[in-house]
Amino acid sequence: MSQFDILFQPLNINKLTIRNRIVSTAHAEVYATDGGMTTERYVQYYEEKAKGGCGLCICGGSSVVAIDSPQSWWSSVNLSTDRIIPHFQNLANAVHKHGGKIMIQITHMGRRSRWDGENWPNLMSPSGIREPVHRATCKTIEEEEIWRVIGDFAKAAVRAKEGGLDGVELSAVHQHMIDQFWSPRVNKRTDAWGGTFEKRMRFGLEVLKAVRAAVGPDFVVGMRITGDEFHPDGLNHDDMKQIAKFYNDTGMVDYFGVVGSGCDTHNTLANVIPNMSYPPEPFLHLAAGIKEVVTVPVIHAQNIKDPNQAKRILEEGYVDFVGMTRAHIADPHLIAKIKMNQVDQIRQCVGANYCIDRQYMGLDVLCIQNAATSREYMGLPHIIEKTSGVIRNVVVIGGGPGGMEAARVAAERGHKVTLVEKADELGGQITIAAKAPQRDQMAGITRWLAMELTRLGVDVRLGTSANAAMIRDLKPDVCILATGGTPFLEQNPEWGAKEGLVVSTWDILNGTVEPGKSVLIFDSICEFSGMSAADYLASKGSLVELVTEDIKPGVGIGGTTFPTYYRSLYQKEVIMTSDLALHKVYREGDKLVAVLENEYTGQQEERVVDQIVVENGIRPNEALYYELKAESRNKGQIDNETLFDIKPQPVLSEDTKDGKGMILWRLGDCVSQRNTHAAIYDALRLCMHL
Amino acid sequence: MLNAALPWLLAGFLIVLGAGAVRRISLWRAGRPAPVDLIAGLMAMPRRYLVDLHHVVDRDKAMSNTHVATAGGFVASMALILLVHGFGVDNVWLARALLLTTVVMFAGAVLVFRRRLNPPSRLSKGPWMRLPKSLLVFAATFFIVTLPAAGILPDGFGSGILAFVLLAGIVAGLGEMLLGMGWAGPMKHAFAGALHLAFHRRPERFGGGRSTGLKLLDLDTAGDKTLGVAKPADFTWNQLLGFDACVQCGRCEAMCPAFAAGQPLNPKKLIQDMVVGLAGGTDANYAGSPYPGKEVGKAKGSAIEVITEGLVSQETLWACTTCRACVEECPMMIEHVDAIVDMRRFLTLEKGTTPGKGSETLQNLIATDNPHGNDPASRTYWAADQNLPVMADVKEADVLFWVSDGAFDMRSQRILRAFVKIMKTAKVNFAVLGDEERDCGDLARRLGDDATFQSLARRNIEVLKKYRFKRIVTTDPHAFHVLKNEYPDLGGSYEVLHHTRFINELVEQGRLQLNARTGGTVTYHDPCYLGRYNGEYDAPRAVLNAMGIQLAEMERSGFRSRCCGGGGGAPITDIPGERRIADMRMDDIRATGAEVVAVGCQQCTAMLEGVVEPRPEVQDIAEMVAAQLVDVAEPATAREVA
Repeated sequence: MSQFDILFQPLNINKLTIRNRIVSTAHAEVYATDGGMTTERYVQYYEEKAKGGCGLCICGGSSVVAIDSPQSWWSSVNLSTDRIIPHFQNLANAVHKHGGKIMIQITHMGRRSRWDGENWPNLMSPSGIREPVHRATCKTIEEEEIWRVIGDFAKAAVRAKEGGLDGVELSAVHQHMIDQFWSPRVNKRTDAWGGTFEKRMRFGLEVLKAVRAAVGPDFVVGMRITGDEFHPDGLNHDDMKQIAKFYNDTGMVDYFGVVGSGCDTHNTLANVIPNMSYPPEPFLHLAAGIKEVVTVPVIHAQNIKDPNQAKRILEEGYVDFVGMTRAHIADPHLIAKIKMNQVDQIRQCVGANYCIDRQYMGLDVLCIQNAATSREYMGLPHIIEKTSGVIRNVVVIGGGPGGMEAARVAAERGHKVTLVEKADELGGQITIAAKAPQRDQMAGITRWLAMELTRLGVDVRLGTSANAAMIRDLKPDVCILATGGTPFLEQNPEWGAKEGLVVSTWDILNGTVEPGKSVLIFDSICEFSGMSAADYLASKGSLVELVTEDIKPGVGIGGTTFPTYYRSLYQKEVIMTSDLALHKVYREGDKLVAVLENEYTGQQEERVVDQIVVENGIRPNEALYYELKAESRNKGQIDNETLFDIKPQPVLSEDTKDGKGMILWRLGDCVSQRNTHAAIYDALRLCMHL
Repeated sequence: MLNAALPWLLAGFLIVLGAGAVRRISLWRAGRPAPVDLIAGLMAMPRRYLVDLHHVVDRDKAMSNTHVATAGGFVASMALILLVHGFGVDNVWLARALLLTTVVMFAGAVLVFRRRLNPPSRLSKGPWMRLPKSLLVFAATFFIVTLPAAGILPDGFGSGILAFVLLAGIVAGLGEMLLGMGWAGPMKHAFAGALHLAFHRRPERFGGGRSTGLKLLDLDTAGDKTLGVAKPADFTWNQLLGFDACVQCGRCEAMCPAFAAGQPLNPKKLIQDMVVGLAGGTDANYAGSPYPGKEVGKAKGSAIEVITEGLVSQETLWACTTCRACVEECPMMIEHVDAIVDMRRFLTLEKGTTPGKGSETLQNLIATDNPHGNDPASRTYWAADQNLPVMADVKEADVLFWVSDGAFDMRSQRILRAFVKIMKTAKVNFAVLGDEERDCGDLARRLGDDATFQSLARRNIEVLKKYRFKRIVTTDPHAFHVLKNEYPDLGGSYEVLHHTRFINELVEQGRLQLNARTGGTVTYHDPCYLGRYNGEYDAPRAVLNAMGIQLAEMERSGFRSRCCGGGGGAPITDIPGERRIADMRMDDIRATGAEVVAVGCQQCTAMLEGVVEPRPEVQDIAEMVAAQLVDVAEPATAREVA
């Protein structure tokens, strides 16, 4: 008996037994290739979850049933063709052989798409009203098209069934075609498909009837709905309870998946995949409300990352299944670790939303901290096997995420690893990032790594500044430099960094300088650090103006994260100004004057403030590298061909005791500024072959 | 003078011996009746002594030789003494033969003497320190006394002071050997031991057999019969006799895991306390190691006093893990575990004083058919994704896979899943009972609750009756033991196999192919209920060998394996000690330098994994095999995580 027993109570959906209560809910993976087929990467991504014990995977968020619902923008799965069936068979076999179950979400996205590519379709919606997030204009769908789309749903469901999948989930959430019909905000029709409640329900009902008729009574057909659109003129919780009950009472729906919030504005979209600024399970009450009125199992995801949290939700009976989707992206072996009593070894999702923010840009979903996720097909491992070769003395310099991951992987391989860090704590730039308001959970990334280093017995030397002599004394076979970088304030001498006129966002977040009363932040990067510094300063009572020469402050931050920054900054009356570059800074009395120049007109204006903060990225700390490079056997070089091919570096086949020196690699920001994922990916692919 | 006195002396001592024997027998007869074939037992006794018992004694070669010389010398000498000196048979050759036997006995006694110069702590002291001297005196005296009869010294030899010296020697020697034999001296062991062998409660143990199942408790309480053993007189008479056979050699003490852990149990002391109880008195004369943490001299009792009210504390009885190491080691083949469980039966069934979580566990077993009180309907949750054939559906299978209560435990579930994978790979036609399976009753029985054991067992047998299968296979040695050895008393007889034996069969038949295992050193921990209880030492090793593993064996392995501490309900009654048995066992494992300890019991797995890390990894053999399966259908990359 274990405290997590409740998670492992099987439950049936229709006649399908799900082995536990943990679900990976539908999300857009952006992995389907070859015109929307579930190919090798896709299959192995889900196989890994099944191997790790996940009860049910619902794959293919927004998988399209018709050719006029474009799939290529997000490489989503295409069920409009029989070509998908053998691919589904591969997918189903891979999951089933590990005891998992797999279903797919199917949809017609209606107006919630883009028309300017692929087949250049006219997008369709009940009343032809434009969708703002995708800037999608559309036509009013006609009766003939309605019946054709209903038929497409049924055909797609049959393809899923023939492909051996365990069920389909009709997407009636995120303002797709079905819930476009539901919503009086979007559905202004006066014919048989709009107006009264029953007429607005009709399209969804006809889809359900057609799908059920096509797949028979035993095949699982579920429905994903919102619990409340959070639009003043949208569907509220009571509306959604009425809708859920309506479909439940048809007896044709086998489960409901409930998502809090609509998502056809930037601000509501951020609710759907709550980032680290949200409390745990912020919308559970909405799912619980739906559970009150339906008789079939209810699934709910949204910010459920921890097994204790999942356990509590299930024990208290709010819902029947807990979605832990991002939790599985961060660690597909989450359930195995619960079962093996290794809860403290779970790489827990921190809600950085790197995954979903990539997806909204049409990029493949990747995890900020787990570089193996979705790269299983390339051979990147979630469980690192011990080497059967020589045991090496590995010295890593720098305890940021890249250095820590390198140390972790090398130690998992069984090598003797020493990690040297200048600061008194591990974490590198993550530690700084975590100091901003609402960003503290960033530290989870390096906290997990630190716990793993302890578990693996890595010799961690904190407060130790490495130099060449010290490294030579340690006699490493392999030396990995991950020394990071330094804020780049000197790019424009007119900023007066040398004279101390400007400070960096690091100085602010680390608290090495006191917040000024009035502060101008000049942010040429437009990612997290500038926004975080502004939020931090404003929260300390500073009057803040955040200025950029770019399109808007925070433009480099993804779609689910900039809204939560904006909410916080606007609330604290931070002024956000774009299109102005910092030209020059000078002192005037006890004030500083920032001379700003308009990017497009060249016109200059000035601000008189107490403090000027510049976020201009970082320059790599490379002195140590150039000091050691000459004496290393590989002259510090990494062979890109083998690195990109996930093969061992050629230099590893040499005998390191032949006196030709150590192997020297560097990774992370000490090479060039990239991001956390880049550093961790390089560390994993380099060190997994050590 | 001596010649004239000797026959009378001998006759006198023999009469006293006879009187002592009669008294001793009357003490034993206070016990409950036991079905024993007296004549057959007596007929079998010499062989049991010379062959079966010798096998046990012979594990210590030096001691075995010592005993053969001493005891053989004494028995032969005594017979010849009666002829030569008792009946006055005047034959030089007989006398010379007697000289020879006394020399042999003397030689043996010298060895006993030397062993007693610096005796190991397990040996009792007290009168046992006197014994070698008495033996030497006996042998030397009768050697000298016989010299004239052998024609080596003149007939008149031995008069005057020498005669008195020799007379003193004769009295001392005969006193120790004959009087002591009947009247509770160290030599009592010869008399009681011989009869114990003749009337042993488990005659199946002789001739290479094995008998380890507990005897069924008659639950009929008509006539105010006490359930279990409250007082020494509640033991059967041959159990009492068995206690009297103890030689206090302490081999049991040396092997007892509870004693080593500083828990208040010493099997030798327990048996001696039973002897105190059957004869009445105190333990003041006990001269061996105490129960750890308990003072000697305070215990007192009699045949009709409740044992746990003054003679033996309840903790002593609950500290036992029922590992049978003491029984396995006992050169007198005494049945300590039976006695302990008999006394536990009284405490649980009559007094309701099962300590620790004992009562709660028994209540759970009664209410839910499993020890932790899990919802009985959750028994098959672990297999929700395994698509296991269930007997209720298929009715018939080659193998009935007895899942056991590991079904409720996440760690054990990994073992179960591994074994299922193995059976599927080998295409074994198997089925499980699913929710119809109940706890096998092992735990209830070892905790003294034979009523619950019998209830569980009968219901399991009823279920098993409904289906056709060739054999039962289980990964749980405790279930293996009760199904195989204890269900037959209730009418359920099956061919039961431990999974390691079954896997070994599959490997031998070529139905499983295993990759060679790479990686660090492996040792194997013999589970008590698999090894000592059922003699299964080879199959687990053969399976490991089939994966190319060269075992680094522990010093305590095979029949001398040390218990993990998890048997007999010990983790539930949880009697405090100075150390944990599992920690000591892990130290045994560490001493081999192994990175992995292979086990074949989920209870052992739980106990050993309870040891604080860093420590070697604990893996069931099923898990190790599942990781090495050559499976064409499922490539290695698809390995399960858990």
